Amino acid sequence: MRVKLLYHTELDAIKRVLAQKGVPFDPELVMDHIVYMFEIEDCSRVTTHQLVRHRAVSYDQESQRFSAATREGVVTPPSVQSNDAGYKAYDEALKAVYSAYEKMVTAGVPKEDARYVLPGAIKTKLVMTLNARSLMHLVWQRTALQAQWEIRELAVTLQRLAQETTPELWTKIIER
Amino acid sequence: MKVSLAWSSPHPERTIAVAMRRCYSTKPIEDIEAELEQKGPEYWKYLIGKALQDKSLDVFEHFVLTLSVEEMAQADMGLLTRTFPYLRATHLRLSEWLLTLNARTLVELWKDARGKPLAEAVVTELSQRGVCPIFSELAFGMKANAS
Repeated sequence: MRVKLLYHTELDAIKRVLAQKGVPFDPELVMDHIVYMFEIEDCSRVTTHQLVRHRAVSYDQESQRFSAATREGVVTPPSVQSNDAGYKAYDEALKAVYSAYEKMVTAGVPKEDARYVLPGAIKTKLVMTLNARSLMHLVWQRTALQAQWEIRELAVTLQRLAQETTPELWTKIIER
Repeated sequence: MKVSLAWSSPHPERTIAVAMRRCYSTKPIEDIEAELEQKGPEYWKYLIGKALQDKSLDVFEHFVLTLSVEEMAQADMGLLTRTFPYLRATHLRLSEWLLTLNARTLVELWKDARGKPLAEAVVTELSQRGVCPIFSELAFGMKANAS
């Protein structure tokens, strides 16, 4: 999985407005106004199905209606990778699924319909824009120990990138 | 009502184009950005025009603006924040606000009688600052005033 921060709101620009109005800076006050746009690549659709349950977030995701699926573009969970019998079953299922997909596309079935057989493991790409309040809620929920490994990995990365670029906001919130 | 731009997404029109291309491309983001740079503003204009024509307003949600707003009553701002879910307003003092919205919400405000005065003030401010001339022209028929 690869995550890239495309832009974020300049905290200083918001601070300048507050200073002009004589309002003291408070992270809680500006959380709705600090926005991050991320590119997320090569995570599974299993994970993006969980991700899009978070509201007040803007998503635009690679469409399977138009792009062809390939056998190489899948995520294999570590628990499957490290289990010989499990991996064998996983691999056989993927081979069958992709064989069916390719046969359908070759036979003239539109990709938008052939995709119905594709697995949740398939890799995807998306852009996501959200404010600090929504991101903190996402991070709070998805870095919990009971969260699934892949979305936890994503949430930890999102937090790291946001914290690196707007440390004052995140540090003060975390301190509370 | 007085509106002053505090911050906006960098390269707003290219950002909208990136979101639009993301839906239809398997390429990594750097390749999409390079392709959009190479094709230039005329191509961004084509994509933005197509999104407006198809009413695919979701791609405009990635272009975000934060503004200082003066002379707006609490009741009026309350109505707008209840009506437009991506509008975020923080009351600073008296009738003064810190307001964040995305370009989709701006288009929706423009089309709504309750939101039109705010939308017109924001679009005028964007036009004067020359922030997003292509988007302003296609969405609101505004020509940029900035030199």
